[in-house]
Amino acid sequence: MRGYEKPLPKPSTWSKPFWDGCKNRKLLIQQCEDCKKYIFYPKLFCPFCLSRDLSWVESTGRGTIYTFTVVYSYQPTGFADDVPYTIAVVKLSEGIRIMSNIVQCPPEEVVCDMEVEVIFDDVTQEITLPKFKPVR
Amino acid sequence: MGSFKGKIAIVGIGEVPSGKFPDRPCLQNALEACKEAIIDSGIRKEEIDTIIPTGTFFDRRYNTDMVFSKLVEELGLLRKAKNNFQVFAGGSSSSVMLKTACGLITAGLAKVVLCVQSDKVGSSPTQQMIDLFATFGIPEEWETPFGFFMAGTGSLFATRYMYETGTTPEQIASVVVSMRKWAVLNPNAMLRRELSIEDVINAKMVATPFTTREGNILADGGAAFIVTSTERAKDLPNPAVYPLGFGSRVCHYAISQNTDLTRLGFYEASQEAYKMAGVKPEDVDVAEIYDGYPIFPLITLEGLGICKRGEAGGFVYEGNTWPGGKMPMTTNGGMLGQGHTAAGGGVAILVEAVRQLMGKAGARQVKGAKIAVETSMGGTFMDSHVVILGRELP
Repeated sequence: MRGYEKPLPKPSTWSKPFWDGCKNRKLLIQQCEDCKKYIFYPKLFCPFCLSRDLSWVESTGRGTIYTFTVVYSYQPTGFADDVPYTIAVVKLSEGIRIMSNIVQCPPEEVVCDMEVEVIFDDVTQEITLPKFKPVR
Repeated sequence: MGSFKGKIAIVGIGEVPSGKFPDRPCLQNALEACKEAIIDSGIRKEEIDTIIPTGTFFDRRYNTDMVFSKLVEELGLLRKAKNNFQVFAGGSSSSVMLKTACGLITAGLAKVVLCVQSDKVGSSPTQQMIDLFATFGIPEEWETPFGFFMAGTGSLFATRYMYETGTTPEQIASVVVSMRKWAVLNPNAMLRRELSIEDVINAKMVATPFTTREGNILADGGAAFIVTSTERAKDLPNPAVYPLGFGSRVCHYAISQNTDLTRLGFYEASQEAYKMAGVKPEDVDVAEIYDGYPIFPLITLEGLGICKRGEAGGFVYEGNTWPGGKMPMTTNGGMLGQGHTAAGGGVAILVEAVRQLMGKAGARQVKGAKIAVETSMGGTFMDSHVVILGRELP
């Protein structure tokens, strides 16, 4: 059996809680304790007010597809077995945006503003990727 | 603090043909472009006191050579040149190199600036380049793991733009048709064959809605331009081309963080540039718009106020941007026609804007062109730059 051949995220000291959260089936995002804004992707300090007082909160994991593309060819190394696959930018209910894959949905049925929710894909023992499926 | 406006002139341009030239070393791309620009300008090369090479992607060592003054030595300017440093913003390097040159000359810190680009991404191995560009400007932690890559970038803009405006795949494909019509007339272009809308939309799908014909074809290339003071330009042979206005916005690093993929920063950037230049959209004679993917000329035409929101697709589809159209656009053929030479795609478009205003564009010449707008974008289309150039001083 072949191992996982796609690129994997390399968590940083400040993003590690996010990836640990994914392993525990929680989509964690940062919130600034000073200006209360939600922050994604994880930052060392708040990009709005530069505060270091950031906490982790659990996202609803629900949102809508802002935009997407379905990849059919010339895909990066490691993704040959996946084509066609759908890449989307999901706007979560907290207002933050995250790139991911849309799964459990035929590519031709994906549309902008479709409601989606997070699922977790344990791609290796160390890494769980958050992906999204349509809300049925 | 004085403005650059009226004090700065572009006086010479050089360019090597774009294409796949495995036996043409990258240094040759740079040197031939520099030499042509120097001869074209009529300036003595010893007057060049500042050399600004922009970044090169295909080889890190070559790029370091450019940073470490290789060109100063090759051009015989040791102990004459005062500065050699890199100015690099990917595809928008054209605009930011010009801005940097304007600043240095206006401040009295340089007299003659040679800006040069060279790369060799066209004859490097294809899969290696795909994987390279899969990490360039695309966060390795947040986007690469999902199979995102450069060829999917334009698609994300296009999907949302089509959804919000009702623009059709045929209208978007017509941008490629327009680019190819210009490329046919450009001896430095790589893709000199006309395409029909059907040729474009029936080609192999890469990342919806874009087919292979709507994607970048990587090319080797090189281009250069020389910037000096209006005073120095007076007795030089070319009609001087004057930068009149700049405007720009940076809208993302990670594409997922851009809050409006259908407008980018072109509305704000254009207003800034028009105001600085004292011109209006209807004054523009030729629109040298950065392409990369066919969605961007549409977004840019609207941001520039040349088309209303949602109407750019129909405007291009009707032939208004083609040779002979009322708004000639990207007359070198852009990256979709001349070829994508990495940062050089933008530099080629700036050089073409200058060429048009100098009246040296040959079969592509827009008759009597006095005002050109040049736009550029870098990375995963992270920034929106607008430059207004004029043949006459305000």
